[in-house]
Amino acid sequence: MIATGDRRRVRVWDLPTRVYHWTQLALVVASLYTGFVAPESWMGVHVAAGYGLVALIVFRLVWGIYGFEYSRIASFAYPPRRVIESLRGLFLLRPPHAIGHNPLGAMMVFALMAVLIALTATGLMVLGGEERQGVLRGVISFDIGAAAKEVHEGLVWTLMAMVALHVTGVVVESVLGGDNLAWAMITGDRHLPAGLPVPEPRRARPRAAALATLGICAVLGVTAAGLSQVPVPGERPLVMDPAYARECAACHGLFHPSLLPAGSWRQVMATLDDHFGEDASLAPDVADGIATFLTANAAETWHTEAANRFRRVAATDPRRITATPYWIAKHGEIDKSVYARRSITSGANCIACHRDALTPWFADQAIVIPTE
Amino acid sequence: MSSRVLPAVLLTILGLAALPATAADRTSILKDYAAAAKAADPAFAGFSAPRGETLFRSKHVGGKPDTPMCTTCHGDDPRKEGKTRAGKVIEPLAGSVTAARYTDPEKIEKWFKRNCDGVMGRECTALEKGDFITFMIGQ
Repeated sequence: MIATGDRRRVRVWDLPTRVYHWTQLALVVASLYTGFVAPESWMGVHVAAGYGLVALIVFRLVWGIYGFEYSRIASFAYPPRRVIESLRGLFLLRPPHAIGHNPLGAMMVFALMAVLIALTATGLMVLGGEERQGVLRGVISFDIGAAAKEVHEGLVWTLMAMVALHVTGVVVESVLGGDNLAWAMITGDRHLPAGLPVPEPRRARPRAAALATLGICAVLGVTAAGLSQVPVPGERPLVMDPAYARECAACHGLFHPSLLPAGSWRQVMATLDDHFGEDASLAPDVADGIATFLTANAAETWHTEAANRFRRVAATDPRRITATPYWIAKHGEIDKSVYARRSITSGANCIACHRDALTPWFADQAIVIPTE
Repeated sequence: MSSRVLPAVLLTILGLAALPATAADRTSILKDYAAAAKAADPAFAGFSAPRGETLFRSKHVGGKPDTPMCTTCHGDDPRKEGKTRAGKVIEPLAGSVTAARYTDPEKIEKWFKRNCDGVMGRECTALEKGDFITFMIGQ
């Protein structure tokens, strides 16, 4: 049922709204790619896309007040009656014409906006609580960050389902209304039935929009700067004990003490004569000194992701970092041949790939897997 | 002592300590092992580099399964670097390449204790230690 008859071109989407729409799509695609496909070391791109989305959302909300007629939220905040009407029309394959967003499309716009806000908010919480980066690094606890990750992932699937529905709606509406809506979002113009009354549109107020955007950005910026000053609990500079550095680094890269709980470190230091297949015995006073350093700075004393994850050790092999459930889960996809590379040699050679292995952070961005 | 003089003095002491020490220390360390070897076996008639080489290159039993030979970690060529199983570089064993080798009795004993246990499952005798060092000094 394609509507026919005379058509006329009506400017509906101004340039800022179109640029916003397609930039948002690009950032969502970039977020999906860096979140699901790309290696973890790309997390910086994921985070940048997230901050970009925040900026877009701020802009769009402002433009929803000061933009050109059909970008204004007021122009597509339909009463429920109109939504139901629209739904009925859709089932009869005769949806009423709308100039900008139709009532069902408007519902989707609000829902998409809400989900994107929730996605960026939970993303910031994961970044702060788990990765100990970003604005919320010292504010969100690890457990809340981990919970936010579940929500974040759930929202991603919700968003993808909504995007699919959105595209379906655009296709259906384009066919039923005889006007290519996707193309309109590129050119800005719709081809509407000549008889459809088009009221005088309200003009955009770019200067007011710019002022409002600046104001909001200033408030957000000051808040962000203040929040990011909050230190992570337990955060401290750690100088490696000289005996630990001297004796242990003779055979292997130093492990940050946060990578095992105190109980495991005690066992490691009590069994040096059979140290993962080698005799690494030390004079008792030297071993005691190292044990004191390691247990005083063990996983329990840090609030980083690594420290939180490695507190759970393997019951059958509690001394071995590479036997912990989390280590195995994180490294399971890496082929054995990678570890055999000359510059890596062993899964226990953390610093071969984690360039910040001597810190408690183990940032995703610091991962560089050598190629030989 | 002024802060400008102190580093110079320290460096001089370090230099004096390091330069002539190597050769002298190795001789005295070997002398101590010779005395111990003689005490263990009155028939002791000196260390042998070939015996030391055999010790270095043989496959031993009784030690830990992952490290049956010295060369497992140190590599076949004493003049080249070795590598621990965890990927850390080991300075060459050859005395001519790594000047600091066989100059610190405590360090020597620490590593013989660990590595003889790891490779052979027992302590090394004074004869074995002396043979080994004699071979490595000549490399």
